[in-house]
Amino acid sequence: MFTADELRNPEQLYYDDVEDGQELPTYDIGPMTTTHAFRWSAAIENWHRIHYDQDFAVYHDGLPNVLIHGSWKQSIMPMYLKNLCLPEGWAWKVSFQHRAMIVPGDTITCWSRVTKKYEKDGLGFLDLETGMRLQNGTETCPGHGTIVLPIKGGRAVPYPFVPPSDD
Amino acid sequence: MSCGKIYLTDEVKALIGATAERVEASMWGIEKEGLRRFTQAIMDPDPRFWDEEFAKTTKFGEVVTPAIYCSYLNRRTPPGADDPISRAFAENPESDGIGGLHQDEPGRLPAIPTDLKRVLNGGNEIEVYKYPTIGDRIFSQSKITEIRERVTRDGSHMLITITEHRYTNQDDELLCILRAVGLLR
Repeated sequence: MFTADELRNPEQLYYDDVEDGQELPTYDIGPMTTTHAFRWSAAIENWHRIHYDQDFAVYHDGLPNVLIHGSWKQSIMPMYLKNLCLPEGWAWKVSFQHRAMIVPGDTITCWSRVTKKYEKDGLGFLDLETGMRLQNGTETCPGHGTIVLPIKGGRAVPYPFVPPSDD
Repeated sequence: MSCGKIYLTDEVKALIGATAERVEASMWGIEKEGLRRFTQAIMDPDPRFWDEEFAKTTKFGEVVTPAIYCSYLNRRTPPGADDPISRAFAENPESDGIGGLHQDEPGRLPAIPTDLKRVLNGGNEIEVYKYPTIGDRIFSQSKITEIRERVTRDGSHMLITITEHRYTNQDDELLCILRAVGLLR
């Protein structure tokens, strides 16, 4: 995982330096624990017992263990893409499905691969295949995303972000 | 084999396009303590979320929050409200912890009138345009954009819903759009 200092001034990834099909840097989180899940429950006031009450999760709902929240997963992918784009790019879109459970003990690797790169309005767009893979290779959140990177010598990525004129 | 019953009834179809009223999602605006707890829980130590002096030097010019933080603000129980946890367990000692919560709050979409009661999170999509900042008041508006029916390989029926939630700030600037795929089985 990143430290605060590593995120202050990370080396900018430029559009020019990325190729179609390229794997972008991965990001590992974990091993996850029930305590991580409970902290998320408290942070967002989600009191569903399947996330922190193991007896309820296993004996009432028939689950293998307490579950790491889908809402936590949906907050991790935007973070991963945001950090890939820092300091000047923009993580515009991400979508994913919830395909497999994440339980305590699991380690997660966020990954992405460039499926298409194109320029619009002087900005560099990367369409990505994305996912969150567990230590055993299970893909829990297959999805797609679009990030916007600066082009060397080109204009700054606008903030607030303005989509391309034909989008 | 399918039971032959149609779940995508006219009554269900009539909800496509249903739009809830725009409501304020934040209780007291974006405040530092809630943001600290949120970013700690997603394990993102990014100083753009807490270091005011550093944040001034970034393209954002001030402390910001993750865009998706917007979507959790309206889940908080306001002070003075009935304790939702005590109420849930008073109604059902075997409660899952959330039974009966948030059913009657402003800004909620109407429930889908169906016998399919099991709700699963099928996936999400988020588009991000601007990050909220400290002190922002956040507003949300929800809409049912799509409902379709699918018969699974085992013959059971499923309604697939897509709801869109648009988050704006006090200046009506668009912050992000979250789309959620719900599976009713």
